[in-house]
Amino acid sequence: MTDPQARRRQRGAPGFNMTPMIDVVFLLIIFFMLVSQFASAENVPMDLPKPEQSQAVKTKLTDRVVVNCLLATPSAPDTSGVAYSVGPLRVASLDELSARLAAAKAANPRLQVVIRADRRLPYRAVHVVMEVVARHRIEVMNLVAHVGEGGR
Amino acid sequence: MDPTQPANGAARRRRPRRSRRRMRPLSRITLNLAPMIDVTFLLLIFFLVTTTFKRPEGIFAAQLPKDAGIPSAALPISPIIVRISQPTPDGDEYQIRIDNFTRAPQSFGELARFLIDIQGNPGFDRQTPVVIYPGRDVRWDHVVNCWNAAVRAKCENITFGGQ
Repeated sequence: MTDPQARRRQRGAPGFNMTPMIDVVFLLIIFFMLVSQFASAENVPMDLPKPEQSQAVKTKLTDRVVVNCLLATPSAPDTSGVAYSVGPLRVASLDELSARLAAAKAANPRLQVVIRADRRLPYRAVHVVMEVVARHRIEVMNLVAHVGEGGR
Repeated sequence: MDPTQPANGAARRRRPRRSRRRMRPLSRITLNLAPMIDVTFLLLIFFLVTTTFKRPEGIFAAQLPKDAGIPSAALPISPIIVRISQPTPDGDEYQIRIDNFTRAPQSFGELARFLIDIQGNPGFDRQTPVVIYPGRDVRWDHVVNCWNAAVRAKCENITFGGQ
């Protein structure tokens, strides 16, 4: 009984218990699968307005077209120009934007416009889009902002 | 001694043979976990890298006039006209003025309180139009904040004025 080899044989080979690690890894995977949102291509990433006690409403709109107003050079916001896109597709000019909206309105008379604009842009950059929207007699325009802690 | 019964010694000899057969190692089917753990780790790394926690977005709905740029009817009651300006083009500062009122709110929170207070005055209620006139260079963030203040005050007719 005092033979060390016999004692080792009795105890078995030293092993690494993988079960708790696999449990944790599976839990992590399930967590990330649940929380990850695959970004919609039409919602171009940008710095949206963050109102105090935001009252912006989270809603899913149908019959909509998203117009993005972005800083052309986000690294230099003060000197940057503005770039527009309809959904993920960049438009070269306001005339092109107007043509796209006209086509969308012709295809769907109940069309709504969602304006997503970078918070650092001057009002005039967004105002021209509003004018284009109004010219096409699109009656509902939605302004996008972050929903804060106090938001609905 | 019974001749039909085996001798004690013979029985003792047979028993170990049977138990040796039972002791023979069974062929065990084992599951190789290594590929599953590999794939699991790959999935974990994928989700760790691709997940971005973004702040949720919401909307402020605005009705535009049906006739482009031209008021379809005269406003029945005098609106509350809110003007926002920005003293420096690249600054975070802003100024709020309200036409026909001497009180100038210093922040959007104050503007919301002002709009709530004014609703108690005769001739004003939630239906009173609030027209926002932002300066051309005012940051979009301030404009949306102003709209948000009017929504916080439960104003039901909010619109942008022309430039």
